[in-house]
Amino acid sequence: MSVRASDYPPPFSANDYVGEPTDPVDERIDVGVLIVGGGPAGLACAIRLGQLIAEHPEAAERFGDVPVALVEKGKQPGSHLLSGAVVNPRALRRLGYRMEDLPSYGEVHGEAVYVLTRRNALRIPPPPTMRNHGNWVFSVSRLGRWLAERAEEGGATILPETAAEKLLVSHGRVVGIRTGDKGRGRDGEPLANFEPGSDIVAKVTVLAEGTQGHLTGVALDHFGLRGDEPQVWELGVKEVWKVPRPLKSIVHTMGWPLRTAAKYREFGGSFVYPMGDDTLTIGMVVGLDYRDAELSVHDVLQELKTHPKIRKMLEGGERIAWGAKTIPSGGWNSLPTKLYAPGLLMCGDGVGLVSIPTLKGVHYAIESGRLAAESAFASLQRGATPAVSLAEYDDAIRSGFIGKDLYEVRDMRQVFGRGFFVGGALASAMTISKGRVAPGRMHAEPDAEQPLLESNRASGYPGPDGTLTFDKLSSVFLSGNKTRDDQPNHIRIERRVPREVAEMWINLCPAQVYELGTEGGDGTVTVQVAPSNCVQCGAITAKGGRLTPPEGGSGPEYTVT
Amino acid sequence: MSVLVFVEHHDGAPQKGSLGVLAKAASLGDADAVLVGSGVSSIDLGKYGAKTVHVADDAALEAPLPQPRVDVIAKLAPNYDAVFFANSVLAADVAAGLAARLDAGLNWDLVDVTADFVGKRPALQDTVLVDVGWTSTPRLALFRSGSFDAQETGGTANVQPVDIALEDFSTEARMVEQAHAEASGPSIEDADVIVAGGRGLGSPENFSLAEELARALGGAVGATRAVVDAGWYPYSAQIGQTGKTVSPKLYVALGISGAIQHKVGMQSSNVIVAINKDPNAPIFEFSDLGVVGDVHEIVPKLTELVNQRKH
Repeated sequence: MSVRASDYPPPFSANDYVGEPTDPVDERIDVGVLIVGGGPAGLACAIRLGQLIAEHPEAAERFGDVPVALVEKGKQPGSHLLSGAVVNPRALRRLGYRMEDLPSYGEVHGEAVYVLTRRNALRIPPPPTMRNHGNWVFSVSRLGRWLAERAEEGGATILPETAAEKLLVSHGRVVGIRTGDKGRGRDGEPLANFEPGSDIVAKVTVLAEGTQGHLTGVALDHFGLRGDEPQVWELGVKEVWKVPRPLKSIVHTMGWPLRTAAKYREFGGSFVYPMGDDTLTIGMVVGLDYRDAELSVHDVLQELKTHPKIRKMLEGGERIAWGAKTIPSGGWNSLPTKLYAPGLLMCGDGVGLVSIPTLKGVHYAIESGRLAAESAFASLQRGATPAVSLAEYDDAIRSGFIGKDLYEVRDMRQVFGRGFFVGGALASAMTISKGRVAPGRMHAEPDAEQPLLESNRASGYPGPDGTLTFDKLSSVFLSGNKTRDDQPNHIRIERRVPREVAEMWINLCPAQVYELGTEGGDGTVTVQVAPSNCVQCGAITAKGGRLTPPEGGSGPEYTVT
Repeated sequence: MSVLVFVEHHDGAPQKGSLGVLAKAASLGDADAVLVGSGVSSIDLGKYGAKTVHVADDAALEAPLPQPRVDVIAKLAPNYDAVFFANSVLAADVAAGLAARLDAGLNWDLVDVTADFVGKRPALQDTVLVDVGWTSTPRLALFRSGSFDAQETGGTANVQPVDIALEDFSTEARMVEQAHAEASGPSIEDADVIVAGGRGLGSPENFSLAEELARALGGAVGATRAVVDAGWYPYSAQIGQTGKTVSPKLYVALGISGAIQHKVGMQSSNVIVAINKDPNAPIFEFSDLGVVGDVHEIVPKLTELVNQRKH
């Protein structure tokens, strides 16, 4: 009988995170538009709102004393941002920026795609979806810091180290969020520095939480907005290296160390992007619909670096950063039925605005944040019907370039469930026909429902040598993560599970959060959790657990990822 | 150069960390000390290197509150190039209050300083030392605990009583209660010897191995995050990035692999001894003495030998 993680659901109920405001009315923090999440989507929303309020000073008073507030769970905007990232400039330009003024690593000039085997690399022409001419290389963490400064200049109030814990809903309408408590001990007891959370009430709430957004998930369940197809994810693990020789073009690889046979369902690839003359970033992205309990994306990345072609790029260099994050990959078919609810708009990666075939999402996040700002602003105008204005946001996303792009590649990710070569051929047909040739609607299963298998995969991972290859704990250290240990566990999992599930979680997690506990004697084991290692990548939510936000300010402190 | 050192005391005895900072100051030039409290006149700091000791001895100064101490030191500080503190809860409060009162610059978490006032501060999780300086006088410096050892020089100090004039606002705060954590043996911040246990001990019961060796050596017991997470030992004993940072004279690591998160909390120990059955454990890369073997066999014998030597 096959074992599935989804048969051991976490103790988590979305309704525990929905409630009426509880603070006395005069103690609530009252804002105009509240944005949850300081990533590209949330910051673009804050920036556009600032622009609109400046253009229409007569409308400003409707927003109150704090017209735009943004809460960010990381130490500062950018702390939890990680991406490739080769960014399509379209959305940044629409927001009013010239690419030359942004903190980028320049325009893409050349690109190469390789299919790897253990020792060789076959260069192939870039598939049409992977052509990046005219796109720009960014560290999205650095871009986030820059956008946050612009947002503050435009009048937004940014509240870092603040977790959005609960969705405040009153009479069926979202009225804000409640922030997480700080200073609780391991068993939830208040410590000497205990600070309770606060109700932040807003006329419009914009959730821009990024991948596996906590309240986005809660809102989709509470308002019944999940799409026809389940959302699925990939996990990306990346490193930044100082290197002696510059890398000239962006590089993508497919194939090894992933296995091509359909039964393993190992879909993914790697990227290597130059960041100026002496730095590059290298990452591995793997679909979380894989089946092998021993698959570890962190270790597959370590394995990739031992390939002669890749090793040469890194030789004599030094690893300076590391991080991990999930990417929603369901695309068009997995979009929520609506991207809004009364009083609420949802943006970016949180609702899955990502195109996996083109490896793009940052510009969709920015564009969705901009469009959310337009709708939120319109809904607060004299004579506006808020419900109509918010619904217009949904139309704007689906009928604009985001919807058009995602529709064209809508079934492409799913076909790779048929293995690398069949999937590749089908994907090419879809691309050339701009989505008109499709093998019928492709169904996806939730990542946690994949039956697990074991094939001794871990025996192939290289051991850490401290120069080219590294273990998980030293990598977590490099992420800047120094989360307080004596806070309540923020990770919900079933603690007693079959051994296969425990091993899958242990290997899955790039930050070594899970360890094998004791044997139950009946084929089950307990799982030990070290929550303070967590870099909040979200993989556990895809694979049968549930990540909730830890105390604000916890987690990694990314700067160049 | 002239330096004033704030010497903290408990139960009539000067605190070890303060004496270490005093020794450091004396090695750089003229070092004076300031003692604030009730019944502190009898504390002899001359033998630890102080030239002049300013003594503010008054019943009103008995409670270890920061603002009255700021009042005393603010009058003395302008006569000095620098005022040094050994880090503690009280010293950090006093240093911060003094910085605000005098509009003076404070560098904290220093581990060393040169005679021309260049401070050394660990940064980026203690992976590098950065040079820090001051742009005005008096320079205020707060040193990490365990940075310097006390030195007995056998000198005598000129004792100067200080006129005590407390600001109104300084007497607003009152000490309501003082509580002490009950502990047998020294605390891990103060201990000269720490015996720390990791997952390799195998079970919570086996922590008695670490406790017995620590007792024999007159030291304290530390623990890694992994065992604290597993509930084997209390968080107060956790050493590492997210626990305590220690620098004892001797650090004995039992069954500890030496992940970097642990290393940054103990790497400045004088002598590191590791016992671990895995010869590839990273801890051997930064141990002075490494023993590849089973802690359950070695530690009881080691404890027995230490006990024999003592008698």
